[in-house]
Amino acid sequence: MDTIIEFKNVTYQYPLTKIPAIKNISFQMEKGKLYGVIGGNGAGKTTLCALIRGFAPSFFKGELQGEIFIDKKNIKQYQNGELSLKIGYVFQNPFNQISGVKDSVFEEVAYGLENFGVPMAEIEERVVSIMKKTDILSLAEKNPFDLSGGQQQRVALASILVLEPDILVIDEPTSQLDPEGTESVFRVIKAMKEMKKTVILVEHKVDLLAEYADEILVLKGGELIRKGKNQEVLTDISLMEEGVLLPQMAILGNMIVQSGRKLQEIPITQKQAERIFSQF
Amino acid sequence: MWIEKFQIKKTNKIAALYPITKLWLTAFYILGTLIVSTIRIHKLPLLLLPWFCSLFIFASCSGIRKKFFKSIKKAAFVAIIIFLVQAFIVPGGEVLFRFGILRICSTGLITGTNLSLLILNIAGIFVWLFQTTEYKEISRALEDNGLNYKACFLFLSTMQMIELLGRNSRIILNAQKARGVETEGNVLIRAKAFIPSMVPLVLGAIISSEDRVLTLESKGFDVNCKKTHILNVEKTGNEKWAICIGIGILLFLLIGRIVLWIQ
Amino acid sequence: MSKVKKHSIKNDFSMLALLIIPVAVAVNFVGGQLAVILKLPCYLDAIGTVFGAILCGPWVGATIGLLTNVVTGIANPITFAFAPTSIALGFVTGLLSEKKMFSNIGKIIISLIIMAFVSIIVSAPIIVLVYGGVTGGGPSVVTAMLMATGTNIWASVIGSDGLFNALDRIIAFIITYFIIKVIPDRTLIKFSCGEYYVKES
Repeated sequence: MDTIIEFKNVTYQYPLTKIPAIKNISFQMEKGKLYGVIGGNGAGKTTLCALIRGFAPSFFKGELQGEIFIDKKNIKQYQNGELSLKIGYVFQNPFNQISGVKDSVFEEVAYGLENFGVPMAEIEERVVSIMKKTDILSLAEKNPFDLSGGQQQRVALASILVLEPDILVIDEPTSQLDPEGTESVFRVIKAMKEMKKTVILVEHKVDLLAEYADEILVLKGGELIRKGKNQEVLTDISLMEEGVLLPQMAILGNMIVQSGRKLQEIPITQKQAERIFSQF
Repeated sequence: MWIEKFQIKKTNKIAALYPITKLWLTAFYILGTLIVSTIRIHKLPLLLLPWFCSLFIFASCSGIRKKFFKSIKKAAFVAIIIFLVQAFIVPGGEVLFRFGILRICSTGLITGTNLSLLILNIAGIFVWLFQTTEYKEISRALEDNGLNYKACFLFLSTMQMIELLGRNSRIILNAQKARGVETEGNVLIRAKAFIPSMVPLVLGAIISSEDRVLTLESKGFDVNCKKTHILNVEKTGNEKWAICIGIGILLFLLIGRIVLWIQ
Repeated sequence: MSKVKKHSIKNDFSMLALLIIPVAVAVNFVGGQLAVILKLPCYLDAIGTVFGAILCGPWVGATIGLLTNVVTGIANPITFAFAPTSIALGFVTGLLSEKKMFSNIGKIIISLIIMAFVSIIVSAPIIVLVYGGVTGGGPSVVTAMLMATGTNIWASVIGSDGLFNALDRIIAFIITYFIIKVIPDRTLIKFSCGEYYVKES
């Protein structure tokens, strides 16, 4: 087991607020896994992302107690820019993730590499390869502002992925997208998993998390109330009382069990459900 | 081969000159304009007219005749207004011409001619500069010559932001119209439409700037290292000639001016 | 919250300020266009300068002013000459904000008078010496009329342009005021002068 992110008794409070957004959270995350983060509004999901990336407190100011380690090194000891290479950060609004100084998608994706002074020949190779993986090569010469939301979000993902970070923090990437856009973004997230990246994914759509995540973290009111394997957490009907929505298959499974029948396992994805229910 | 696609290519030799060289030529032209304006015929700097014609020919040679004509119109309009106001309104000196209430006085005529021709010439050379050079090129060349990359960012970002906010303002204005906010009628009604159109526009832009800080930091904007650039702006080899010709013309004007003084 | 007094130029140019500058310049540009579309009798092309300077201080304000005239100058070189006016307006507005001169109605009125005064002091020589009194804009008609009645050129320019400037500053400030009212506090405190405008303490 290879720990890449560790929180030790982390409490964080935004400026001008009276209650901490994150209350005494401790956990470890392993390399190469996809962690889903769920919880209601104001549970602290976005704050958690900002803490991992160091934007809280560097940009949001406020007070941080406890320690955060990235790759076994305290986050405070990282130099400017070092974290950008280590941790990629993608967030909700795809429109705001466009640099605003480039007039083609190709140049937009290459912007980070330009900033880090990567040689020209390598830029071309890396950009083309990542654009293929995120399925945006056909948009290369378009203006990033003229794209649809789903396309813009994939451009945002590509322009971060091209920096080859080990860790990816993705905060509700699909909240402003239609189903088609959502699906295209998740295809990219799946590809990241295949690239052995550690992914922290905040997402409301639990059915998608059921399919892609390895572990789930449940936040409520700034506290970490559950952390465990996908299958364990997403089948736990008691979480419904905490306001967490479970995947439809898990709810169905629980209802069947409650009605007195036995299931070898409660399903969380459609595929599992097909297998389990077919043995009925 | 992808990177090739994003280079700016020009066939015209003058237009393809290095942006810094073009900045120098602009400065030379302004200096030249000032020298020419001191040569007076009947106290009027009339030589500025053929001087402007030569600029027009120069712009045509740079392959931007139509664009030049289009862009110079605004400046020409202002120049004509200035000339008319000065010539007909400003009193002083002898009255040269009188027609009913209209009269032209010598002081006004001289200042009017001088100011309007100076403005036309100086505006003209800037029109030439910006019509032959993309702002991306200028910013890139300036960065290569020591301008801070943050200043270049400001410039490029501003150009895109204007396009973006311009687009958004039209959307908001149309939305306000659809909501029944009146945009026609007397001044007060029209003024009332202004504020509800402006506030959401600015507010949205400020709030999204917060997000964009995170975007740029994630993309390594303020990392201290030598940056690479996809866009390359290179000298064509004709720059030395251009500068030499420019200095040559300037010297010719200067000597001509001095000779006229001595006579 | 840390109570260290910053206000060094470097701190003024935070990453956020770097992103607000283009927004402010674009707002100047769009405001001017909108004023033309709505056929309003004033320029309204300094709203961005005013709010940028109020939020980020004098140096950022001056930068917004400079950049505005560079950019409008590309489209119409005539406006290059007015860069000093924009720079001065941005700088003075920022300075007033830094000195907390927008905190109550009395101070606001004094500030607006100072802003209009600075604009006219800097632009009058440009209008008179470079353009001979008229620039083809809204106030030019008034200036020309005043000059035709025999009024001195300086008095005509200061009278007509001063009036337009004062009107422009008031509108720019009203809009800035509305904007600052609706910006959330947590966003406001990220600007170097923003903490002066936080609603509750």
